[in-house]
Amino acid sequence: MLSRSAQGLYWMGRYLERAAHLSRLMQLQVETLVDRPLREIHFGWNRVYSSMNQLPPAGTLEAFGSDDYTLADSYTLADHLTFEPTNPDSIWNCFAYARENARQVRNYISAEMWLSLNMTFLRLQGLTIQEIWKTAPESFYAGTAKDIATFTGVAEATMYRDEGWHFIQLGRYIERVQLSASILLAQIAAQDRQDESFDADWANLLHVFRAFDAYVHSYSVVVQPGQVLDLIVTDELLPGSMRRSLDAVSSVLDAIGSGPSPGAGRDAAALSASLCAVVLDGSNDVTSWRATLDQVNGDSRKLHQQIMDVYIAYPLESLAIR
Amino acid sequence: MDFDAYDLDSAFYDEMFLPDGTPRAHCRSLHESLLRLPVEELVRMQERVTHSFSSEGITFTVYGGEEADERIMPVDCLPRILPGADWRQLESGLAQRLKALNRFLADVYGSARIVEDGVVPVDLVRGCPQYRVEMRGVPVPHGTYVAVCGTDLVRTNEGFHVLEDNLRVPSGVSYMVANRKAVKANLRRLYRSCRVREVEHYGRMLRETLRELAPRAENDPCVVLLTPGVYNAAFYEHIYLAHEIGATLVEGRDLLVDGGYVYMRTTSGLQRVDVIYRRVDDDFLDPLVFRPDSLLGLPGLMGVYRAGNVTLVNAPGTGVADDKSVYAYVPDMIRYYLAEEPLLRNVKTYICRRPEDLEFTLDNLRDLVVKRVGGSGGYGMLVGPESTPDEREACASELRENPADFISQPVLDLSRAPCLIRSRAAARHVDLRPFVLHGRQTRIVPGAFCRVALREGSLVVNSSQGGGGKDVWVLED
Repeated sequence: MLSRSAQGLYWMGRYLERAAHLSRLMQLQVETLVDRPLREIHFGWNRVYSSMNQLPPAGTLEAFGSDDYTLADSYTLADHLTFEPTNPDSIWNCFAYARENARQVRNYISAEMWLSLNMTFLRLQGLTIQEIWKTAPESFYAGTAKDIATFTGVAEATMYRDEGWHFIQLGRYIERVQLSASILLAQIAAQDRQDESFDADWANLLHVFRAFDAYVHSYSVVVQPGQVLDLIVTDELLPGSMRRSLDAVSSVLDAIGSGPSPGAGRDAAALSASLCAVVLDGSNDVTSWRATLDQVNGDSRKLHQQIMDVYIAYPLESLAIR
Repeated sequence: MDFDAYDLDSAFYDEMFLPDGTPRAHCRSLHESLLRLPVEELVRMQERVTHSFSSEGITFTVYGGEEADERIMPVDCLPRILPGADWRQLESGLAQRLKALNRFLADVYGSARIVEDGVVPVDLVRGCPQYRVEMRGVPVPHGTYVAVCGTDLVRTNEGFHVLEDNLRVPSGVSYMVANRKAVKANLRRLYRSCRVREVEHYGRMLRETLRELAPRAENDPCVVLLTPGVYNAAFYEHIYLAHEIGATLVEGRDLLVDGGYVYMRTTSGLQRVDVIYRRVDDDFLDPLVFRPDSLLGLPGLMGVYRAGNVTLVNAPGTGVADDKSVYAYVPDMIRYYLAEEPLLRNVKTYICRRPEDLEFTLDNLRDLVVKRVGGSGGYGMLVGPESTPDEREACASELRENPADFISQPVLDLSRAPCLIRSRAAARHVDLRPFVLHGRQTRIVPGAFCRVALREGSLVVNSSQGGGGKDVWVLED
């Protein structure tokens, strides 16, 4: 398929995954605002921004712990993360970019997928933070996450499993790995800064990954950071685990094939396989978890670049046709 | 819905009613159905159609302020009906016209017989900015310079006239099909009973046409549609057509020239391209030959084209034949090349490069429509009766400065058709753009994109200027 179209599908997958992740985080954070202690609220905002590798409009994350400012200003932060046009990772922008990519590759996705995405785009278009804040903002975020889940389901049910499909999956899973690594690293860093560990923060993290029930089922109702990390990173059955995402990346790369220059294609497949091995090993203590996640974080970015180099912006000199 | 307050005016041909207010024979069943339908139902139907366009993303882009604005093409849900006999007359006229225009292009880029014989003035051809010297002596498959033509027709009390031949990158065909789908879904019973001819096979016909023009004898030539990109006003149409003809939708940056061929960059390497249905203007096709600042085209494309290793549809340089001054000579071309009388009328045209025509135009600005010879989309045109003294003064000074850039025509009494405006039937001016295809043979789908000037009294039907669309029902005999 046309390289630029593959790139469009890949980014569509990434942006939708980012929008889903942020919607989920925001839904939990907005729920926290209702009745949780200030410390937890501060922690939540801190984690949202760290996991998106961003700074809040005030420019620093430090202010969060200092006073009641955060609670009063949740409205501004939510706006910044949801609708702010200058924030490239705001939910609205993720949708707009996903839809813009989808519009250009409309002939590679199913008509139902386009319709589903465009309808969500039209629903969000023109909404403001004032409007969603008036009643139950969590239902807005839940609705948005649900729309993306619907899109994913529609895609599952209607799209031909060709190269286009594989590039969407590639984008989706690489984005998921990077977002997961970032949020877990942010959680570990936040814990390091505090003297005591709060169960609520780790339980909340389980909810981000929709892993709470699985955790209770596999371990116990007592939440222990090491076990939480073990479940989210290495579990074979948890749909959103890093391991499953990385396995998916490997199989997708395998299905796509090695591209025009087989050497480079094999390098990307090898990097992907080594990432799978890294997470499979897991870790025993928080320090080694950090090293593992740092490696996943760095290598998954490298893998993104390799994918671009292999299939999209490959050098022409090496091609057989010349 | 009733037509009690419908503003019938004998100055204009009405597409549905005779001057005495009775419906034309071919519109009777539509008229009766509309009388039976409560107006609220029609309004709801109109909303459904608009909503479906919006959710399906059937949009066009308008440039005005700082940002590009993605808009829905307003579509009026009352169809315009053409009886089979009218259509047959148009069909033969359109085919005749395109045949002559292709012969003209082959001639002006070849031996220029028509110029030597003094039928068309040499300065008009050579002085036309759309005349491309790069095309001289370049053979084109089957002599087809124009494979896709969108002819603008208008009807007055005297009959149909050709207003303009769009021979470069005519657009609107996707709206013909989209309007049909939307209206058909909402007027199901009426549609079935009227025996309307299909238009939805346009894509198949275009695909056949493009395949016929491939440069190598291959069963499955690689056809691509070259778009200027997502910000182009007609981007939706490019997506739609690429899908219908099974072509990859490419931009200039996806292509490259190597060893005398054009390739596109795919995830598995380079793939040779045979036919480029380009929706990019000549100027932007190849920065090495045309505009050097173009980022939309492909450097070296013209070299490959001239060597016969890729087909461009339409061929570069076709603009010389739809130039608004050259237009005046099309009837003469038909007589000259085909030895036939034109079946379709031209509109009287004053070519301002002629001093006497310039003088006439300046003296009668209030009654004329003044157009830029290279313009399109309704931009930069003066409609005399709707203009202010200041606008006329500005136009006059432009005319005096660059008379060769302009032509003028009498204001045409464009026919009107009933439209649903603010919950009632109101007469609005319409035109008609059928699409003619020509590869080895001529193909015409029985239908057209009908444009409507939705503002009361307005004669400007362009979508960028407040126009909308209407479905056209060509009836079987």
